[in-house]
Amino acid sequence: MSPRLKISSHVIERLSKVESDESTGCLYGLMYDGTLLVVGLSLELFEDDKNTYKQLLLNLPTEVELCGVIKFGDSLTMDNQLKDILKDVDITDNPLVIIINKEKDMKAHFLVHDKFEETQYEVLSAAEIQKQFLYVRLNTVLPLRCEATIAGVKNVMQNKRKKIASGQVSFHVQGTSVYMFGVASDVALTGISNDATVSELVDSLSPEQPAKKKKQSSNTVEIVPVNLVMKSTRDILSEKLVKTAVKMMTTQRKPAFCISMPLRVDTLAMIHRSTKLLELYSVLVEATCRALRLLETGLVEQLGQEGIGDGAGLRLPETFHFLPQELGHFLTRVVPKGIPDESMESERRALHELLNLPTDRPLFRRGNAHADNHGGRLINPHEAIPSQPRSDSVVALVRGRYAYHHYLQDGAADDGWGCAYRSMQTIFSWFRYQGYTTVDIPTHRDIQKCLVDIGDKPSSFVGSKQWIGSTEVMFCLETLLGVQSRIIFANTGAEMSLYAPELVHHFQKHGSPIMIGGGVLAHTIIGVDYNPATSEARYLILDPHYTGAEDLTTVVNKGWCGWKNGDFWNKTAHYNLCLPQTKPCV
Amino acid sequence: MVRTVYAPESCLQYLEQYAAQEKFGIGLILGQITESRENVIHLARTPEEKVSDTISEGESLLERVESMAAVSEAWVADHAKHVTRMLPGGMFVLGIFITSEEEIFDNTNASSKVKSVLNYMHKVLNVNPHMYGNCPETNEKLVLHYSNKTVVCKSIEVNSAIKGLGAKPVDWKFTPKECQWQRLDTYYEFDEVYPVLVKKNGISVKDQFQQIVEEAQKALEVSVMFIDGELKDRLDPLDQLVKKKKPKNAKSASTDPPKSMMVSLFVPFESSMPETVEYLECDGSIHFSGVVASSVFLYPKATVKEAEAAVKQDIIRSLASRFTMHCDALIDDNLLPEEKVCFNEPPRRVLIPVGSLYLCDYLFPGEAPAEALLSVRELLDLHVAAAAVLCGAETPADTSEFDALDRDASTEELATPQEASQAMYIIGISVALLVLVVSILVHYYSDIRRAVGNVV
Repeated sequence: MSPRLKISSHVIERLSKVESDESTGCLYGLMYDGTLLVVGLSLELFEDDKNTYKQLLLNLPTEVELCGVIKFGDSLTMDNQLKDILKDVDITDNPLVIIINKEKDMKAHFLVHDKFEETQYEVLSAAEIQKQFLYVRLNTVLPLRCEATIAGVKNVMQNKRKKIASGQVSFHVQGTSVYMFGVASDVALTGISNDATVSELVDSLSPEQPAKKKKQSSNTVEIVPVNLVMKSTRDILSEKLVKTAVKMMTTQRKPAFCISMPLRVDTLAMIHRSTKLLELYSVLVEATCRALRLLETGLVEQLGQEGIGDGAGLRLPETFHFLPQELGHFLTRVVPKGIPDESMESERRALHELLNLPTDRPLFRRGNAHADNHGGRLINPHEAIPSQPRSDSVVALVRGRYAYHHYLQDGAADDGWGCAYRSMQTIFSWFRYQGYTTVDIPTHRDIQKCLVDIGDKPSSFVGSKQWIGSTEVMFCLETLLGVQSRIIFANTGAEMSLYAPELVHHFQKHGSPIMIGGGVLAHTIIGVDYNPATSEARYLILDPHYTGAEDLTTVVNKGWCGWKNGDFWNKTAHYNLCLPQTKPCV
Repeated sequence: MVRTVYAPESCLQYLEQYAAQEKFGIGLILGQITESRENVIHLARTPEEKVSDTISEGESLLERVESMAAVSEAWVADHAKHVTRMLPGGMFVLGIFITSEEEIFDNTNASSKVKSVLNYMHKVLNVNPHMYGNCPETNEKLVLHYSNKTVVCKSIEVNSAIKGLGAKPVDWKFTPKECQWQRLDTYYEFDEVYPVLVKKNGISVKDQFQQIVEEAQKALEVSVMFIDGELKDRLDPLDQLVKKKKPKNAKSASTDPPKSMMVSLFVPFESSMPETVEYLECDGSIHFSGVVASSVFLYPKATVKEAEAAVKQDIIRSLASRFTMHCDALIDDNLLPEEKVCFNEPPRRVLIPVGSLYLCDYLFPGEAPAEALLSVRELLDLHVAAAAVLCGAETPADTSEFDALDRDASTEELATPQEASQAMYIIGISVALLVLVVSILVHYYSDIRRAVGNVV
């Protein structure tokens, strides 16, 4: 029986944007409960004979596997290349073939006994997928010592994978007494009932009210942290027990160069919430092995490069997980430590193209990486505001993540004068999270110093409590980030609505937060709702004057982050808006 | 509360026996301190010191110590150091016993000597922290004095600033029945490969062993212990685990001695390596492998936490013991002598029955269990039958295993051990031939000379 089919709305969306009708694509998905869920796709360009999908799989969360192909055109006739890809589908006996014709009509077929059977499918929204799935993240450090050659690395990595798969390792769910064991132990699971599911484990992790938790999980992905422990003892009753006392053998060889480094394994698996914990062990073994393969690829690539050939210039591989809004699933990358993002642009561009993602903004720079720790700051508080869609208006919002900077954070007593500084920091955080920069968020003092350095302010300005305005924000962005800004000048608050279409355009094109200052207090605009028929506009305001704790409910319910009508602006005061501009890049 | 120590009645008999034979005796108190109870397992008289044989050759003179004043601090401390090697984790040299007619605690000379013996012992036992010579739970050592059929025990803080003995009373109790012990067993396995870095670290066996024992200690410190496959509450007493497990046939369990518990240790990978790629020129590799058999014995009311500490101490103490013994016996501390492949096989652990539990000793490759009995008699003052020594806990390295490892290690175009052994073979044959020729020459020397003489 062929499986039921569900497809992520992200996949449908990206498929509809594929321009070329020549190319072919691969589909990635996972099986659960007799259902195939397609979560990702890539375009197969068949360049230089490399099967890009095999490599790409290492970048995807474990459990997500190759599940089928996309063919652009009208007929189902398969060329050899497509047939070869279909042969590599292991996750199901019935590979999926999606064909899309020039009119962008999409049809899904399962290949059943060499025959195509058209099948219906259900589209799953991102929110729905998050409700049903979560991620398990495994972190560990393995010491790596080997000869500084490609063969040396490959050999030692293979041994490590063998060791991981030997049953000697166990996995420990952080913050619990839940351990999962391999075949080398008599027990498979302790700390929780044998038929517990992942979802039950997660519930036992957080003592919060279930209702409150649901609200939280609607906009954040849930990640269960797991670490790896190695069984260092042998069971006395084990048949394999070799009781040879400790001994040391030294083998002398010709002097050769060796490398020694801590290998940080950081890997994700995508798990349906109803999965039994007993089934998780093998998934985590696979996840570790997948991570080791990805790290190996990174190291071998480095060793193959000129100048590094002898290993002296080898850099520590660092793992980053990305969850771009446009992609809808995690993608893990390994990059050499210390190599600037700017010098790895071509690889990223290739990845954007492979995944059919826009190439006008960075998505896979270090700054774009998914982070759970934001220094205690709230991230995108506006996402917690219930949306009130109005059919007759255009809504344009900030694109991507930003951190809410406001009064009194980091122990700075800046209430009364620091609002524009805070607004600037929020903008800065946006540039960091979008991967445009890795420069640290400037403190009030850094900002003042920057303005003194460029000659805008006298040296006495540093350490003062003087206000800054939109032009100062513009100068700092230019100096610290190389970001250009547009300044809009509104004579009165009543004039603001005239500029609403420009704000819509700004959010659609650049997506960065806007700082507004002038005669009165400074604010950050993070969205606009404009009705072209009535010329009425509402503004999504992030207020830097908030002095309370980092509590999302207060911030949203008390309107520190919320929609404001046109009368929010003072009718008699003048306003300056600083609109930070982005340049297309990846 | 007065410190209370429990000792089996056999200890009393031991004291009586020595007091009857000799005017003065000194020895070590061996035992275990747990929060629930302190137990003495054994008393071991310090052997008589051999006076260095400068007087006359061949005749080893035993110096008879007849009073506290004549006791050598270094000699007693040395005894404690050697006995510690024979103790499983969780057992310590808790102090000294003295049998004498002279007063110890009220005699200033004697008591200051007692204090200096304890201080010196403490210092010597602290030299190698991996031996866990001093019980980490206490700063005090016991002094048991047996005189005129009365037993007085006091507890004395070592290295204290207090003038005089500062002795606290101890309630020493002899129990007619020997304490039951909860045994915990495991095999800790090693399988580590290190690069040989001649330029950086030199090539000392001792240093390499030091590195291994330090790494093992770090790993053990953070490792998680499971008992019979389960993570237990660290504050639970061990006997509680047995009861919890077998509620049905509790009757049979109460009469049988408690069953041995299986320990597993899980090491999280927390690397202390620097966050960089180290790039080193290495001249080979070191493969450290094999097991440390560990059996510890705890008072059944001891907690899981105490058992865990004992197991971890045991593994490290055993490693440190064999490394020290191995290095003491080494003629050449060079990790890479002439040969391309070099084996270092430290002595292996054997178990010695003492009452209802086991202490241990170490056998060098090729040594028979009888060798262990010598140190048992000398250091523990015990007579154990050779057959009672358990030699099967660990097995000596199989050289064929080494050969296999060799072949593995040297597949990469480098000097193979086969080549080395072939060379050895050829050299061996040449030497044998030479010996043959020389012996023929010697044998026929007179004939040859005669023949030569005739010619001349």
